[in-house]
Amino acid sequence: MSDEPTGTNIQGESPDAEAVVETDEATITDDAELERTLGLSGGLAIGIGTMIGAGIFVFPGLAGAEVGTAASASFAVGGVIALLVALPTSELATAMPKSGGGYYFISRGLGTLAGTVIGLSLWLGLVFATAFYLVGLGFYALDALAEVGVTVGGSPGAIVSVIAVLAGIGFTILNVTGTENAAKLQNGIVALLLSMLVAFLTFGMADALGVVDAGTPPGEAANVWEVMPIMSVAALVFTSYLGFAQVATVAGEMKNPGRNLPLAMIGSVVIVTVLYVLTIFVATSVFTQDALEAAGETAMVGVGRQLLGAPGAMVIIVGGLLATMSSANASILSTSRAIYGVSKDALLPRWASRINLKYGTPHVALGMAGGPVIVLAATRQVELLAEVASFLHLIMYGLMCVALLAIRRDEPEWYDPEFRVPGGPMIPVVGALASFGLIAFMNPTSIVVGAVVILATAGWYFYYARDITLKGAL
Amino acid sequence: MTRVLVPVAVLEGKTVSPGLINLLGTMDVTVLGYHELPEQTPPDQARMQYEDRATAALDDLSEEFRSAGGAADHRLVFTHDREQTVDRIADEVDARVLAISGMTGDVDRLLVSLSGNVAVDGILDFVVDLIGDREIGVTLLLAADEETAPDRLDSAAARLRDADIAVETAFASTGSPFDALMDAVVDHDAIVMGEQAPSFASFFLGEQHERVAAASVGPVLVVRREEIEEAEE
Repeated sequence: MSDEPTGTNIQGESPDAEAVVETDEATITDDAELERTLGLSGGLAIGIGTMIGAGIFVFPGLAGAEVGTAASASFAVGGVIALLVALPTSELATAMPKSGGGYYFISRGLGTLAGTVIGLSLWLGLVFATAFYLVGLGFYALDALAEVGVTVGGSPGAIVSVIAVLAGIGFTILNVTGTENAAKLQNGIVALLLSMLVAFLTFGMADALGVVDAGTPPGEAANVWEVMPIMSVAALVFTSYLGFAQVATVAGEMKNPGRNLPLAMIGSVVIVTVLYVLTIFVATSVFTQDALEAAGETAMVGVGRQLLGAPGAMVIIVGGLLATMSSANASILSTSRAIYGVSKDALLPRWASRINLKYGTPHVALGMAGGPVIVLAATRQVELLAEVASFLHLIMYGLMCVALLAIRRDEPEWYDPEFRVPGGPMIPVVGALASFGLIAFMNPTSIVVGAVVILATAGWYFYYARDITLKGAL
Repeated sequence: MTRVLVPVAVLEGKTVSPGLINLLGTMDVTVLGYHELPEQTPPDQARMQYEDRATAALDDLSEEFRSAGGAADHRLVFTHDREQTVDRIADEVDARVLAISGMTGDVDRLLVSLSGNVAVDGILDFVVDLIGDREIGVTLLLAADEETAPDRLDSAAARLRDADIAVETAFASTGSPFDALMDAVVDHDAIVMGEQAPSFASFFLGEQHERVAAASVGPVLVVRREEIEEAEE
């Protein structure tokens, strides 16, 4: 086992590897330094900003329609699994604070085949997730139009597709040409969303518990407190927990990574889990299952209207638009980093990570993110998109736990994480089992689509990158 | 010897004018080649593509500084945040002065501003070291409305005269220090000023030296504040 990646791909390119020194403020290579510029709040904003769009604004209606208030248990299950994975991920990320996140850990811990599969499925998983957020955005935009009195004739579904596709094109172009740093804007949006939600949920909880009475009909949801339905909803809504791994994709840019990475990942999972459980509780106390089902993706707008009248509905619509936009935008950013991580190791052609000098942006990778996103967003298959995204991420989550076990067993000389998961192998073992296990509760179609993607990426490895060795290299 | 940090956006075709290189011949210089990236781009990705070109350009620049007389080295940083990078490198190489490059030919006359909440002693020490035994004249500018201000200006001028420097003084008791500086800059080849203490105005308008550099054509040398208290983070 060597310390440097070796071998070449079918085009004769070899991994770009260089010994580096990591400090809290920069990564120092032979001739250059890479400044770490993201603080803890930036990391939390990426994690939370990616996650709340889905969990708060898109899923409550879909999940509540299935099992009523028991959906809060589904979200809690998702949160626990995410936490079980966030802990091992934190250990790996503090030992390897590099761009690429999960891909990097798995390729170094388990070798090139697993690395290629995960690197490419992280890219495609993020593509599915981004398409899902954009469709959610489309539904909220449709509601916004209705709220301001624009009635859409013909097929509202087609309008959602059109909006989702246009937004996808818009975000891709913005990311290629935009040189203004939107990070501060993203932080502001997340802070605004969080304060809106806390105010809204406080009022909703008071109403649900009978402290105040907003005149809502008592919830009559026939709650389904049974294991199987709860788990199957958990598998559906797990897309609400994909954001913490996106924090790992920017690990190379995080200041003081030993402290900030674990805090950002674990903190964002804990914060969103609490918010999700409360939101579901409020939504299902305000509405019955039937009403939630009828309202679908934008059920929260109805919840807002019940609680606070038209202004309540407006607040949720604006929140939903902002949240789905921030999720989509953060995911497009992570996607281009995922592609870069893979291309740096010569598992994709080097040109995939080219940047243009005019804007300084990785236009090829952004195109490889935005192109498929637009196609998928047009399908409008919310549940399928969400589940395939979760499937591909869950495979990565499970393998990250396995990679942690493998690296701990081999204990290479460079392995010196600042954060160690307590309890020996317990948490990674349970995390891996839970991640793989949750897949079993998904819709068969999603499993088939996910499996096809995994097989295709494995095929790519055998065709393109068989001769590259990454295991154990830093 | 005093070390000066010269940040250069090296991949955007920016360079350092010959006049500034000669002016800094009496100093040790660290050239900070930086490339600021939008957040979409991981710094490492830019390094992979541009490192060789940037390093070649920086090698040339450092060589020019060395042939002007002082010791010179360089650092290359890919970053999302120019200000953070400049501060970090300046601390690491212990640079007392920051040079913001601008166009100038040979420097015959410096405009030295003492206005505002700046470390006057540090500025004067630097000006004496910088000029050395060269024939470079100085205009000392102070924009202030206190009564003691003219006396402070005179004692500062006396210190420079002790070092055999030809000094003129300019005093402005009305108007903003920024306008006074911009009015006086004509007929001068470069500006020396102090880093202002962080203030309400700098929070909204940006650092004053950044504004001066943006408004004046020539180079601006900024004497950094001594670290009095550690930054909060």
